[in-house]
Amino acid sequence: MLSSILQVLILGLALGGVYALMASGLTLIFGVMRIVNLAHPIMIIAGAFVAYWLFRLYGLDPILAMPIAAAVLFVIGIVLYKLIFEKEAANAKYSEMTVLLTFAVALCADGLLGALFSNTQRVTTPAYGTDAFIFGTIFIPKGQAYAGAISLLVIGTLLAFLNFTRFGAAIRATTQNRAAAQLMGVNVGRVSLITFGIGIALAGAAGALVSFIFSFFPAKHWEWIAILMSLVVLGGMGKLMGAILGAFLLSVIAAFVGTYFGSTWSTMTFFLALFVILLVRPQGLLGDKIEEA
Amino acid sequence: MATELGVSDVLKARKDYNAALASAGRRERATWFPLALLILLTLLPALQITGGHNYTLHLMLYAMMYAAMASSWNILGGYTGYISLGHNVFFCIGGYFSGMILAYFGVTSLLTAPFAGLAAAIVGFAVGLITLKMRGPTFIISSIALLMVARILFDHWQFVGGSNGVALPQMDIPAQWAKLPYYYGMMIVCALTVWASYRIKHSKFGLGLRAISQDEVKAESAGIDTRFYKVLAFAISAFFVGMAGAIWGEYITYLRPNIFLIILVAANMVLMCILGGKGTVAGPIVGAVVLIAFNEFSVTFFGSSEINLLITGLVMVLALKFFPAGIVGTLAKKGRLPRVLDWD
Amino acid sequence: MPELLEVRNAVAGYGSGPAILNGADLDVAPGEIQCIIGPNGAGKSTLMKAITGLLPIRSGEIRLMGERIDRLRPDQILKKGIAFVPQERALFPKMTVRENLRMGGYTIRDEAELKRHIDDVLDRFPILRERAGQHAGTMSGGQQQMLAMARTLIVRPKIVMLDEPSLGLAPMIVQQMFDIMRQLRDSGMTVLLVEQNAVVGLKNADRGTVLDLGRTLFSGPAEDILKDPRVRELYLGKAAA
Repeated sequence: MLSSILQVLILGLALGGVYALMASGLTLIFGVMRIVNLAHPIMIIAGAFVAYWLFRLYGLDPILAMPIAAAVLFVIGIVLYKLIFEKEAANAKYSEMTVLLTFAVALCADGLLGALFSNTQRVTTPAYGTDAFIFGTIFIPKGQAYAGAISLLVIGTLLAFLNFTRFGAAIRATTQNRAAAQLMGVNVGRVSLITFGIGIALAGAAGALVSFIFSFFPAKHWEWIAILMSLVVLGGMGKLMGAILGAFLLSVIAAFVGTYFGSTWSTMTFFLALFVILLVRPQGLLGDKIEEA
Repeated sequence: MATELGVSDVLKARKDYNAALASAGRRERATWFPLALLILLTLLPALQITGGHNYTLHLMLYAMMYAAMASSWNILGGYTGYISLGHNVFFCIGGYFSGMILAYFGVTSLLTAPFAGLAAAIVGFAVGLITLKMRGPTFIISSIALLMVARILFDHWQFVGGSNGVALPQMDIPAQWAKLPYYYGMMIVCALTVWASYRIKHSKFGLGLRAISQDEVKAESAGIDTRFYKVLAFAISAFFVGMAGAIWGEYITYLRPNIFLIILVAANMVLMCILGGKGTVAGPIVGAVVLIAFNEFSVTFFGSSEINLLITGLVMVLALKFFPAGIVGTLAKKGRLPRVLDWD
Repeated sequence: MPELLEVRNAVAGYGSGPAILNGADLDVAPGEIQCIIGPNGAGKSTLMKAITGLLPIRSGEIRLMGERIDRLRPDQILKKGIAFVPQERALFPKMTVRENLRMGGYTIRDEAELKRHIDDVLDRFPILRERAGQHAGTMSGGQQQMLAMARTLIVRPKIVMLDEPSLGLAPMIVQQMFDIMRQLRDSGMTVLLVEQNAVVGLKNADRGTVLDLGRTLFSGPAEDILKDPRVRELYLGKAAA
């Protein structure tokens, strides 16, 4: 009994790391530009496709493909920002039109990926994808353990970048007060552009990890929108530490729900949690009130 | 520097400035146009005497359904400013409510549609009590979550056939006339919705909704019971979508979650409103007609639903970037809106 | 005296809305304290935002020492030597006093130079040295205004602009603020401020400018503006003098 609880806990924490990575880009973009990016999950799927095809065509390990997926998605992010979001980000006030724009981008990307690769279920299959660490009665799939550990590494790097570099300080300043950052000599247009790129690159990196721990297909991102939003809202919109905390918390709860009530209800956990959080504490665990237009 | 200015000059300038800000008055509305349109639509099935126009009728029915749903969405999304991306949940509830009555008791949806609408409105009211406490982005997110929850529930609810759905009995009518009952049913739903949308826009209730969309805190301090207004708008908006769902379900003779609960249905409602002009009475209708005509064209050329999704997304990006006020809104702003479409 | 900052016929507004500035003019001479007054909605804050580049002007010209700056971004204008404290003070509430000051010197890339500049400013504001580790959001209004002002001085600008520095502050603190402004002027800096409280503003300024309906109506030595009967009737309230 105790060991099975421990096992579920460890699995939940490993997945929590991946969820935290998925949510980190979303919350970074919201923080700097006040854009609720509904297209974030489809970018994760795009990253998963990059890793999938590199594995299928060249046998490249998805973990090694992660930087490539991140780089590809970084470029996509920069292009999207330049084409679509530059004007919206300049306002940096929440507007429903901007949310609808990200929704439209998600529709486009969903349709494009579906047309290119069809909506069949896929998964990359490196050797560790089916292997496990076994400690006595505790059984941990290697894929999830690696994905969780690497996610934490990437998040750690991100936090160090934000807290110890000059550009990181500019991102934090822009998040707290955009006009003030401008008056301090921060080129907030450039900060927004790079942050958007980094945010989407983080989605791509998460996608590469997702490619071997979940089966994926383009239309799956709708489900992930609600899942990711629940993590971000629980932590407080735009709060990176909050999103990470939210990811671990909900992931562990969902792991227990999944073990004892079946996997359908494990997904439900996120959606129901979202409603409960929004009702009880809409600003999230670490958040202030969400700013409105 | 203009030091020769006198006190009275300054006061006069101030008065002129304020007068210039107050804008022009109202024009007359062309009420004959919607009535003429209704008569035309009533007579259209006469084409079927010669036969072979089933597809035309189908397209018109489809357009009227979306005109009704987009107009209905507009009451919440356009007037009140609360964007729901999960409004097809009410389409689904309406469809299943009437569909299950038909499957078990054999009563046609054409009769039970108002009750299906009522069921959707009650669910809408209950959901609204919770989700309308949120504002802005959180409300939008909650609407997507609502859609996901509904999808999981309907996919696993064995009583309504789970993800396989339920086949519905068909009316015993010769193929030539088979579409007519649903055609007229949808026409009535559409006319009712547009009438309701018009009446709401020109009522004190509608004024309150528009005040909420502009500044909810100020609306509240002006004495509007914002919570009740919003929830009522949500319920009304769910009502007509539910009615449309009821008729659509029997018309296509099948209930399945992946017919009703796919994001494309919700996206269409939103896109039609934006394309036509969010917050205007005529906009959603214009948007529905334009988008359906465009879809007809794109499906003929590209086929697959994935491409359709891609194109829907592209049109939406372009509309939001270049015509955020929509066709009706943009024309009105330029003073070029034809009288027959000026219902605001 | 040659003008340091010139605004000619500036027109500006928000989004696609009506113009708030309808051809405003402004002349700021080096080493003066100039105070802009005017009724609510006259365009005072808008003029400040236009000069700092936060709100690009639709037409007209803004020059700093003869050089056009009206097409530059706020960060570029800061580098030209114009620093601004907006009405809401624009601090970073989740950063400490020291971090806020460091952000004030964001454009200074040399760490030793930045440290020296921060030290110099802290000498002028000893209260901030005591509170260097405190989060800006938890300080009192007067302290926040001090910090906002101190933060703009890190880069040693040519002109310091302040939008309603007295807003919500106790009279004693307001007087302290103006004392600091005079010290700054005496050390060669130029101060441009907007004041709702016109009498207090003009009494502490060298030059005054009156803005109404987005246009410049009167400009001159602050004492003359204060005595002008038209200004007194329209803007100061007859009782004021």
